[in-house]
Amino acid sequence: MKFLPAFLALLLVTPTLFAETLKINGSTTVNLPAAEATEILRAEQKMDIQVDTQGGSSGGISMLGDGLVQIGMSSKPVSDDDRAKFPKVKFDEIHIGQDAVAIIVSKDVWDSGVHALTKQQIQDIYESKITNWKDVGANKSIRIAFFNKEPGRGTWEVFAHWVYGDPKKAPQVSFPEVGGNEETRTKVSSTRGALSQLSSSWADGKKVFALGVKGDDGKVIDPTNENIANKTYPLSRPLFLLTNGEPVGAAKSFVDFMLSERGQELVKKHGYMRLKDLGK
Amino acid sequence: MTRALSWFFSLVALGAVALLVGVFVWQSLPVWHHEGWGYVTGTKWFFRQKEFGTLPMIYSTVIVGLIALVLAAPLGFGAAIFTAEYLPRRARLAVKVLIELLAGVPSVVYGLLGILLLRDWIYNLFEKFEPLSGDTLLTAGVLLAVMILPTIVTLSDDALRGVSSAQRRAARGLGLTHAETVLSIAIPQAKRGLGAALLLALGRALGETIAVFLVVGRQDNNMPEHIFSLRAWLEAGQTITSKLGGSETNIAYGDPVHWGAMIGLALLLLIMTGTVTLLGTGFGKRSDA
Amino acid sequence: MRKSLDFLLATITAFCALVAVALLVGLVAVIAQRGGPAVNWGFLTEQIRLVGAAGGIFWNLVGTLILLASALVVCLPLSVGLALVERVWLQREGSRRLLRTLLYTLNGVPSIVFGLFGFVVFVQWCGWGKSWLSGGLVLALMMIPTVTVSLIERLKAVPAKYVEAAAGLGLNRAQIVWAVLLPQAWGGVVTGSLLGLARAAGEVAPIMFTATIFAGATLPKGIKESPVLSLPYHIFILAQDSFDPSVGSKLWGAALVLLALVLFLSVIALPSRLKLHEEANV
Repeated sequence: MKFLPAFLALLLVTPTLFAETLKINGSTTVNLPAAEATEILRAEQKMDIQVDTQGGSSGGISMLGDGLVQIGMSSKPVSDDDRAKFPKVKFDEIHIGQDAVAIIVSKDVWDSGVHALTKQQIQDIYESKITNWKDVGANKSIRIAFFNKEPGRGTWEVFAHWVYGDPKKAPQVSFPEVGGNEETRTKVSSTRGALSQLSSSWADGKKVFALGVKGDDGKVIDPTNENIANKTYPLSRPLFLLTNGEPVGAAKSFVDFMLSERGQELVKKHGYMRLKDLGK
Repeated sequence: MTRALSWFFSLVALGAVALLVGVFVWQSLPVWHHEGWGYVTGTKWFFRQKEFGTLPMIYSTVIVGLIALVLAAPLGFGAAIFTAEYLPRRARLAVKVLIELLAGVPSVVYGLLGILLLRDWIYNLFEKFEPLSGDTLLTAGVLLAVMILPTIVTLSDDALRGVSSAQRRAARGLGLTHAETVLSIAIPQAKRGLGAALLLALGRALGETIAVFLVVGRQDNNMPEHIFSLRAWLEAGQTITSKLGGSETNIAYGDPVHWGAMIGLALLLLIMTGTVTLLGTGFGKRSDA
Repeated sequence: MRKSLDFLLATITAFCALVAVALLVGLVAVIAQRGGPAVNWGFLTEQIRLVGAAGGIFWNLVGTLILLASALVVCLPLSVGLALVERVWLQREGSRRLLRTLLYTLNGVPSIVFGLFGFVVFVQWCGWGKSWLSGGLVLALMMIPTVTVSLIERLKAVPAKYVEAAAGLGLNRAQIVWAVLLPQAWGGVVTGSLLGLARAAGEVAPIMFTATIFAGATLPKGIKESPVLSLPYHIFILAQDSFDPSVGSKLWGAALVLLALVLFLSVIALPSRLKLHEEANV
C-alpha cells in the first residue's frame, strides 16, 4: 500500500518520451485489419498507436471531426450532413478495401429452401409485413426472427441504403437488436428462423448462411468475391481510413502501410477484398 | 485539524453525490419539456422522430426484477433458514463465506454464461410457447435471480440470526419442535429483516446492466397486452439499463433532447433503485447502536 | 405429524442451501473448465494480438490495476472522513442515521449511473476525454459506501473502556481518534477496501464511457486522452465482437483471470471479517 502514491506520482510525472501518439477510432469492420497493422507497426517501427471502436463508423467520423483522433475508420462514405457538421474539416477518404453485407439466415431457414430474396421481400420483412418464411418460399412454416443490426453501424447503413436509398428514409422499427459481428453470428446460429445483416466474410456457410439477392429478372446474385468486385452484388461497402486533409507524419506511415502489399494482405486475411481485387 | 479534515473530505464526498443528482435533474429537463408526462406513459421510443416514451422500458425493468426476485426468494430463504437454524456455527460460517465469495462474480462473467449457455437453455425449455429466440425478459430474469441469490441468503441469514435466542429457548421450553420454532417464532420476528433482504436484492436486480444487456434482446417498444403472461415474458425487451448500456448513449450527447431522454432514463432508474433501497434500509434497521 | 414437519423443513431447506451452493460453485467450475486451457504465464504477460485471437492480457491487467489503485487512493480519505464524522463528530443520533441512510442509498445506485455521471463531468465538462483518472474517480465514488460502512462498524466495536481511558488521561477527541480509534479500527478500512476493490475490479458500466478502450493503450501519459485497457471491458467486447472462433478459449481465460482476481481480493478480506464476526457474536 505504501508505494501506491509513489507509483501514481510516477505515472503523472512520466514525460512524453514517446513520439506523437497516433489515435485511430471507428468502424469495427475496418478495425480488423487496422488493429493487426497496429500490432505490426508497433513491434517493427516502435510506433505509438491507439485504436478504439467507439461508436463504429459514425464514431470514427465524429471523432475525426472533433479533432480527437488523427485517423477515422469508416465502412461508409462521409455524408454531406457529416461534412456540414464539421465545416472546417477536410475529410479525405482513403479507400483500402471493400466489404460486402450479407443477409444471413440460420440453418433451418436455408434447409427449408430459402436461398435468395428480392429487395421488395426484404423491405416487407423489415416493415413486418411478412412474418413467416413460408411466404417467401420456405417449404414449411417458420416464424421470422429478425435480429436488426444496431442502426448507426456501418453494416446497417449499407443495408438501409440499399433497401431505402437513404438510411434516413428507413422507418424506425422495433426488432431485437444485435451489436457486433460475433453477437450477430452467435444469436442467428442458435435461433430458428433467424435473419440478420452481417459482414459477408463472417457468413461461413456452416453456422449461418448468406442469401443471394434476386433481381426483378429472377436472376440471383450471391455475395461472392467476383460479384462484389464487378459491383453486381449491390450490398457492398468501402473500407475507408479517413484523415483531415492529406495524412502527415505517423498517420501517413499508417496509411502507406495499409495501402502497401503487406497491409493489403491483412485486408484479404480478414475476409475483405483488396483494392487489387476490385480492379484498382 | 482532524475535525476540519474529516468534515472537508465528507463534504467533498457528499458534494459529489449532490452534483450527481443535480446534473441528472438538470440535463434531463429538455425531455420533460418536450414530452411532458408522455415521457413516462408513452409506449414508443423513436429517437430519430424525437419520440421518447419510456413505458416499455419501465415495464421490462420492473418485470425482469420481479421475475428474479420471485425465483430467487424461495430458494434464498430456504437456504438461509437452513444455515441460520440448522447448521452448527462453524459450518454456517463456512457456507456463508462460500456463498458470499461467489457473490463477487462480476456481472460480465454472468453475461458470458447467459449469452452462451442460459439463452439456449431457455429457448429449448420453453419451445412449446414458441419464443422467437433465447433473448427474452425471462432469460434476463433467471440470470438476475442467480446473481441476487447470494444477497438474499446472506441478508436473510443475518435477519434470522438477529432473533434473540431467549425467544427460541422459551419456545423450545414450551414444547415446540424445531420446525415450529422456526416457523412461528423466528421467521415472524425476522420479518422486517427478510423484507429488507428482498428489497435490497431487488435494488441490485433493477440496476444491473451488463448481464441483462447481453441476453434481454434489446428490442424497443415491445409493450405486451397482457403484461403478466408467460408469453409476454418470452419476448425480447429493453430495460432501462440495457438501453443506457447500448449504442444510443454514444450518439445522443450532441442533441439536448435526445441526451435529456437518456439522462432522464438514468434519473428514473435512480428513483426506482433509491426508493427500493431506502425502503429496504428503513425496514431492516429497527434498533441501531 | 409434528415430527414429520420438523423433518420436512430440515430437508427442504437443506436442499435449498445445496442448490444455492451448487449453482454458484458450478458457475465457477464452468469458467474454470473453459478458461483453464488458455491461462498460462504467456497469457498473463503478453499483450493482445490479432484482436484477441492470440497473445495475452497483460495490458488489460495493468489497466485494471491502475484503475483500482487510483480508486483506492481517492476513496480512502473520503471514506475515513465520512466514518469519523459519523462516529466522532456528529453528536445527534438523528444526523448519524441520516448520514448512514445516505451511504446505504449511495450503495444501491446502479453502476451505470456512476458511469454516465463520470462521462458528463469528467469526459465532457473537464474535457479529459477518456481517461484513467475519470475511471478511478468514478470507481472511488462507488467504493465509498463499502469502505465507510465497514470502518463505522469497526469503530463501533472498539471497546468503550479504551475511549474512556484515553479521555480520562486528558486526550481530546482528535487525539483519541489517532491514538485509539483509528489504530483499533484500521482493520475495517482494510476489509472495506478489499471488498470495494473486489466489486470495482469486475465492473464495466462505470468505465466503458469514461476510461477504457479495447486496444492500443499501454501506460497512460498524463490525464487528458489517456485511456487504459481493462479486463472486464475486454471480456464484454469479445463476447459481442470477436473475430475468430479460436478467441473462444481466450475469452473464457480472461473471464477466469478476472474471477480469480475478484475472489483473491475477497478472500484476503476474510480473516479480518471473520474476526469481527466472532467478536460481535460472543
